[in-house]
Amino acid sequence: MDTLVNVAHGFGVALQPINLIYCFIGVFIGTLVGVLPGIGPISAMSLLLPITLSGTPESGIIMMAGIYYGSMYGGSTTSILVNIPGEAASVVTCIDGHQMAKKGRAGPALGIAAFGSFFAGTFALIALMLVAPKLASVAIAFGPAEYFSLMVLGLVVLTFLTQGSMAKALLMACIGVVLGVVGLDSITAQPRLTFGRVELIDGIGLVPVVMGLFGVAEVLLNTEQVIKRDIINTKITHLLPSREDWKVSTGPMSRGTILGFFLGILPGGGAVISSFASYALEKRLSKTPERFGTGAIEGVAGPEAANNAAAGGAFIPLMTLGIPPNVVMALLLGAFVIHGLQPGPLMITQNPGLFWGIVASMYIGNLMLLVLNLPMIGMWVQLLKLPYNVLFPLIILFTIIGVYCSSNNVFDVHVMIAFGVIGYFMRKLGYEPAPLVLAFVLGPMLENNLRKSLILSQGDLMTFVERPISAVCLTFALVLLVAPLLPALRKKREMVALDEEA
Amino acid sequence: MSNDSDVKFRLNNSELWGGLIGLALGGFVIWSGLKLKLGTINDPGAGFVLFYTGILMCLFATSIIIAALTEGGPTFGSRWMNTRWTKPLLVIVCLVAFSFALNPLGFLLSSIPLMLLLLRVVDPVRWSLAIPIAVLVPLGMWWILKRLLLIQLPSGIFEIG
Repeated sequence: MDTLVNVAHGFGVALQPINLIYCFIGVFIGTLVGVLPGIGPISAMSLLLPITLSGTPESGIIMMAGIYYGSMYGGSTTSILVNIPGEAASVVTCIDGHQMAKKGRAGPALGIAAFGSFFAGTFALIALMLVAPKLASVAIAFGPAEYFSLMVLGLVVLTFLTQGSMAKALLMACIGVVLGVVGLDSITAQPRLTFGRVELIDGIGLVPVVMGLFGVAEVLLNTEQVIKRDIINTKITHLLPSREDWKVSTGPMSRGTILGFFLGILPGGGAVISSFASYALEKRLSKTPERFGTGAIEGVAGPEAANNAAAGGAFIPLMTLGIPPNVVMALLLGAFVIHGLQPGPLMITQNPGLFWGIVASMYIGNLMLLVLNLPMIGMWVQLLKLPYNVLFPLIILFTIIGVYCSSNNVFDVHVMIAFGVIGYFMRKLGYEPAPLVLAFVLGPMLENNLRKSLILSQGDLMTFVERPISAVCLTFALVLLVAPLLPALRKKREMVALDEEA
Repeated sequence: MSNDSDVKFRLNNSELWGGLIGLALGGFVIWSGLKLKLGTINDPGAGFVLFYTGILMCLFATSIIIAALTEGGPTFGSRWMNTRWTKPLLVIVCLVAFSFALNPLGFLLSSIPLMLLLLRVVDPVRWSLAIPIAVLVPLGMWWILKRLLLIQLPSGIFEIG
């Protein structure tokens, strides 16, 4: 009953005209960045982070959330029609989606991707409504030791799932922690690694780091190649999947939704991993696995449902524990902090309008996306024809403006360009930026909780293993750290990495 | 045999240099942590986390170096093989020049040439399209930011913008 009252309250907030406008702007921009290759939700959210300041916290966060789940919808359009993933979570959709389009079945592929996304998005929201308040009430009992161990687990999971060398990913995470603690020490107020620069006293900004590592570095990588676009030129018809299509897609969609939701909750997990996991699962369960890769609709339905469910699930650790499970959620945490709000176990009770308003807006946003992605598909197809040599200078200009606006400081533009160049060389040498960024965000929290738990326990390190939740998290982290040393698990991890590279 | 060891120990092994850079950074972080004071386990100081993170960085970097020495690794050249490596280099040069010009010249006078260069140096866009985009987009953004969002962009020594 309480949940229903809260949901009604949430819809009251989400249906306010201003919030509806922000929600629409969010899902529209989300679809746009999902459709356009070379700019993803991370860049778009960093770019728009300063704009959230102009409205209420509800409006800003509703818009930011809309960009995230909107990009999951939009990414599939590019994957299916152009065979270039609009964003990372849609990589796997290229495999069967584009093959379907080549066979003249672009309509059903786009249709099932949109309906699968809607179904998964709806499920994730209902689960979010039911799970988040319960988890928040449990999380109130969490102490610094639990928070520290959870964050360690999150970082280890992300490094474990990052493609390529785990040592490199762990090194990146450590560098992220170091960058995160630059500035005044929160306990002793001592400046750390500031090199006498006043601009670094408050630390390095999240926006320039993310925009550099993801926005500028991505552009630099893309300019290396001639981007050829094999756009399907035939008229897109039959967007509503046939009875047969529904029959074969219902199972993959349901399994993808559940799998995606749980992988989304896991710290370090997320939409990319869940879409690959769903594709692998469907291929394994299929009686005709040889059809996968040649235009099997299950290969579109499952991963598309999974990445949208994961996008919804990822809100749970952020809203209930205050811990962002991935880089996108780290940016959302930034939006909360800008407005002086701290997501965590108390947010749902102290700010019910905000929490339930965001949840309700996500449902409304899902409905808007269905309209944006099916009847208006022609508009996005036209947009795909925008050549990359015109697009990338615009992306660079928008990133510069976005970074400048976040702090009104030219120093941050320099930081972004520096991180862009560093990010480019990092990627060329096989170092992934995601663990660095997540550790950068978690670094100060990790340090604070470690020092607090040591002070509270009077230096007794056993506090981390005597508390059950902390012990479980650290045990999982340890298992994942040791796993690559075991030949069988190492082979499995390499297989995942190879799949992602494909 | 000799060929094999040549492959493993060659100096332009990019993995080896990546590891060495990581090791140097780790060493610097340990030194910074020590300089900031570690404190005690009961009362960790400002350098406590930095020091131990530095140690972890050195450990991971060492493992990368060992892997590079025992298993070999791609050369720098192979990382950029079959790519148009001059294009990102040109974009980097444009961006660095822009970052130095932004404060003295202001947003408009620095971003219009930047846009024009980016539109022409990678995959040249025809002049009739490049010039209007390079002029109108920064101008439009400047107008939106200054007039609608009331955000002041740098105007430079000429106070344009």
